[in-house]
Amino acid sequence: MSVKKQDNATVNRHTVRRILRYGKPFIWWFVLVLLIVLVVVRLELLQPAILERATDQYVGKYVDVSTEGISLSALKEMRADDLRGVILMGVEYFVVSIAIMVLTYLQVSILATVGQKIIYNMRTDVFQHLTRLHIGFYNDNPIGRLVTRVTNDCETVNEFFTSVIVNTLSSVFVLVGVMISMLQRQVQLSLAIFTVIPFIVVFTFIFTKVTRKLYRAIRARISELNAFVAEHVSGMKVVQIFTAEKPTMDEFENQNEELRKANIRQLMCFATYSPTSYLLNIVSVGILLAFGGNLVVTGVITAGTLIAFQRYMTRFFDPIQELAENFNVVQSAAAAAERIFWLMDTVPQIQDDPEAVHMDTFQGHIEFKNVWFAYREEEWVLRDVSFEVMPGQRVAFVGATGAGKTTIQNLICRYYDIQKGQILIDGVDVRKIRIEDLRKNIGQMLQDVFLFTGDVKGNIRLNEESITDTDVVEAAKYVNAHPFISHLEGGYDHRVIERGAAFSAGQRQLLSFARTLAFQPSVLILDEATANIDIETEALIQDALGKLMEGRTTIIVAHRLSTIQTADKIIVMHKGEIREEGTHQELLAKGGMYYKLYMLQYEHGIEPVA
Amino acid sequence: MERTQPRKRENIFRIFTSSYARSFIRKYKWNYLIGIGILILIDVLQTDVPLIVGDTIDAMEQGFFTADLVRRQIVHLAIIAAVVFLGRIAWRWFIFGSARKIERDMRNDLYGHLQTLSAHFFQDHKAGEIMAYMTSDIEAVRMVFAVTVMMGMDTLAIGISTLYKMITRIDLRLSIVAFIPLILVAVTTTLLGGEMHRRFTKKQEAFSDLSDFVQEKLGGMKVIKAFVQEKKEWENFDRVNRAAQDANIRQAKMAAFMFPFMRMVAGFSMALAIAYGGYIAILGRISVGNFASFVQFLNMLVWPMAAIGRIINIMTQGSASMKRLETILNAKADIVDGPEAVSQGIPEGTVEARDLTFAYPGEDKPVLEHISFRVEKGTTLGIVGRTGSGKTSLVNLMMRVFDPEKGMLFIGGREIHTIPLKDLRAAIGYVPQDNFLFSDTISANIAFGDRSKTQEDVENAAKAACVHDNIVDFADGYDTMVGERGVSLSGGQKQRIAIARALILQPEILILDDSVSAVDTDTEEKILRHLHETRQGKTNILIAHRISTLQDADQIIVIDEGKIAERGNHQQLLEQNGIYADMYHRQLLEKMKREEYAL
Repeated sequence: MSVKKQDNATVNRHTVRRILRYGKPFIWWFVLVLLIVLVVVRLELLQPAILERATDQYVGKYVDVSTEGISLSALKEMRADDLRGVILMGVEYFVVSIAIMVLTYLQVSILATVGQKIIYNMRTDVFQHLTRLHIGFYNDNPIGRLVTRVTNDCETVNEFFTSVIVNTLSSVFVLVGVMISMLQRQVQLSLAIFTVIPFIVVFTFIFTKVTRKLYRAIRARISELNAFVAEHVSGMKVVQIFTAEKPTMDEFENQNEELRKANIRQLMCFATYSPTSYLLNIVSVGILLAFGGNLVVTGVITAGTLIAFQRYMTRFFDPIQELAENFNVVQSAAAAAERIFWLMDTVPQIQDDPEAVHMDTFQGHIEFKNVWFAYREEEWVLRDVSFEVMPGQRVAFVGATGAGKTTIQNLICRYYDIQKGQILIDGVDVRKIRIEDLRKNIGQMLQDVFLFTGDVKGNIRLNEESITDTDVVEAAKYVNAHPFISHLEGGYDHRVIERGAAFSAGQRQLLSFARTLAFQPSVLILDEATANIDIETEALIQDALGKLMEGRTTIIVAHRLSTIQTADKIIVMHKGEIREEGTHQELLAKGGMYYKLYMLQYEHGIEPVA
Repeated sequence: MERTQPRKRENIFRIFTSSYARSFIRKYKWNYLIGIGILILIDVLQTDVPLIVGDTIDAMEQGFFTADLVRRQIVHLAIIAAVVFLGRIAWRWFIFGSARKIERDMRNDLYGHLQTLSAHFFQDHKAGEIMAYMTSDIEAVRMVFAVTVMMGMDTLAIGISTLYKMITRIDLRLSIVAFIPLILVAVTTTLLGGEMHRRFTKKQEAFSDLSDFVQEKLGGMKVIKAFVQEKKEWENFDRVNRAAQDANIRQAKMAAFMFPFMRMVAGFSMALAIAYGGYIAILGRISVGNFASFVQFLNMLVWPMAAIGRIINIMTQGSASMKRLETILNAKADIVDGPEAVSQGIPEGTVEARDLTFAYPGEDKPVLEHISFRVEKGTTLGIVGRTGSGKTSLVNLMMRVFDPEKGMLFIGGREIHTIPLKDLRAAIGYVPQDNFLFSDTISANIAFGDRSKTQEDVENAAKAACVHDNIVDFADGYDTMVGERGVSLSGGQKQRIAIARALILQPEILILDDSVSAVDTDTEEKILRHLHETRQGKTNILIAHRISTLQDADQIIVIDEGKIAERGNHQQLLEQNGIYADMYHRQLLEKMKREEYAL
């Protein structure tokens, strides 16, 4: 427990250091801002000086002389210089005010701009890092929560740069300045008043401890709430059809109320901490009166010094109050940053090996050598799997759900790394091939076709600008997607909304074929969609599939008889192991597991091996 | 593009003229009044401290300084300190605490309203965008109810009392002259108000876009990885990220103006006070002492005036966000109970369509044309047809996910609009094509439509959907968490859980929208047998591509391009020798191919 606490403290300090690192490229801007602040402070001191001069030199010059009986015009003439003087002072004050305004505006907008640039960099880092993480990560973390990292959490860190740094520094300047002035006036009294400082430090320390936890809770609640909203907005149709509005609303209200409570806890914590500086202010006034009073009575200091000290004290506690407020912002930003850094510290499990080789194309020779794999420790999904696929061969994997068919596909594309054994493509271990080359050369078609907002064209070529419009149309024609696309409003420019909810499963399949073909892969990996498709589209798909597989090494998780029959090799999986291997005929003749599976399925419908 | 828009002037006080915002002030008025009362009380109390110090110093100079006096004064100070300490905690609780309550209420209202909106709305407003409303915009409004109220009251209290003293004790004309620069505030706010509003709105829109972008791309991460598009997506992200940055900077530069500007205005006041006040003091119209006091009073007003700058910023942002929120809150729920809807209990399972024609909102081409059929209670209707032929649209209309025209659809013998939505949907159990499951336990997902169901009910439903055996195989059984979109489950398992979710309600009408496609034929047959046995007297509507799924249906309709092409039972349809027969033969062919190999 105590070890953990210490960890937290270092984490916090570490977090602030890491936040600051983002400010480093802009260090000279911060320096400039500080210079501006110093100039502004200097200008601000000019203002009371002007005021004093106006009062002492001009207005109050003849304060003891009665103007009784002097006519207005005579008075004007008599004091023409003074009149000119006050007007000049007014003008001076006016000019100084404008100068302060311009400089302050500059300072604030520089900071705001720099702050935004930092947030921009931070968001870029977070997003890029997210794209580096392996697929398994996305199964454990709801997307709504991850979105919060990029949006709200980064936004919260912004304040750290726009207000905290400069305010803290200027508060410290003022504080030190006031303390020096006090010490110069009278050491004993100053020291007596400074005795409150340790208390401030202690209170702040306690406040930090408590509030850090509270802010963490707030950040966690916000991302929970976002995750809830993201999911339930996507599933609103289900909520409504099941008339589950009421219980869902209750759940939302609960989460929302929890967020409010978390906010209130922080609010009350700060509400208690913030006036302690006032409390200590009053304590120091007490010290001033009791201790300082004695000094006056004993003649060590004059009453004037006491009055001067009283003035100093208000200027002493203002920056302290300001520091306290800044502290609050730091805590809030640190809690948000912690969550961002936690994400950035999640090491991408799948990375390029430093000695990874570059491979332009694959011949298409794939070999598994005694592969053992588990998603979670010791829960083996694949046990000692070995097989070999020759270039251009079609291999179909069959077996029950959970037998490990999809896993094999994920491993070829290296979405996960295996624990034991070797996977070789063209004789090279997949861990030694650049991930980019590996995946570019393997066309993978997923069961669930994901379409992005944008147009049909963009969904086929994705972001690859080297794929021209002609290429897109050709690919679509080749896989029989062209007829339905050209029927759409706008054809290839048809807007895809809501992840293509308007497209049928069959149309989505065809789009995904076009997408895969456009990328010209040398190896094809296909998780055959289950029969979600009408018979006519089905025929189109079969035809397209045949064309796609031509001359390409193909690995299929198969559901359709025709696909299985035409395979060069069928591999029967059972509970993570290869049970049988051979052609359709061979396996049937063998009368083993495949035969049983086949006979069982064929009794019932058209789908043979699910 | 901006130019062509009529430049409507946005009022920064919009937030307080909106009746929605005002309802919150009314709701929490006592909290606010008490909070403001405390705020003013401690403001007044604090001014006692310098007086006490002054008295004590006077006493020192006059030689009355005793231990007893010091003790008395310190006790006095301690009391003030205690009251101010508690008061500061209290007003934060009353004012800031109420703002947090308003934040909560608004978020509840927003979410509650979203639940009443139809599928049509969610085509334009996606999850990422709505997350932005839920957090960023509500936060901007909360700031108004917290900070503006606090600062505004402080400013007002200090401003009025100081002004009163200036006018009564010193000189009216000087006071007026000194406040001439305040005109600048009014002028600037009117001139810049619209632009500030626009820039803040742009900023919020950019934030929404960013949120939306990330939401979608993370959802499609597998595709991005499969096609090695990560680096390209960085470029895409860079575009939205930069747009957000630019919009933020533009807004921040505008906001950065107000605070120093107000200080400058205060400086102008002081400059005028020096010039004009000094002038009349020299000429003897006011005393030198009055001049000095006047200047001091003005000095006290500098910070409250600067606070006005901050208030204007917060109010503008709050008003812009409020406007955005109100567009959502005012989005009309287009599918609601009309005046003709009268509750007569849950309708029975007769479904009838009379010359039903339907086009999606904003589209000319109907997706369904002249559809007529009648399904008697207790019978099964099968619907087949090509993808995109309009099958899902048809069931969407039955559930009023989209609204049919009046007089076209009848459920339980009643025109669909006369049935309250609640009753209508309670009559229907639906298994959607995409098997959407929530991140919750399996049993919570199955009991989604009726949380009062017992574990036994849940298990029975799971058994009927043939998924019980799979569930008990999981380490946590029915308490297994389903990932965000049920990622850890296979397609077939998801489908069967979705079937159990519908079955548990024992609905009058059960709709399976192509929901057994990922289930093997063996299991499919078992599920269908269960349906037949347990749903006596209830209606089933099956949409499928596999003839085997619906060949036992009492009535089958074939939909083609939005029209009913064929109808009848399996036998009759085969005799018609049309689309259905063709489909059947092709599927049979596939089956025979297999036999050929098997034999």
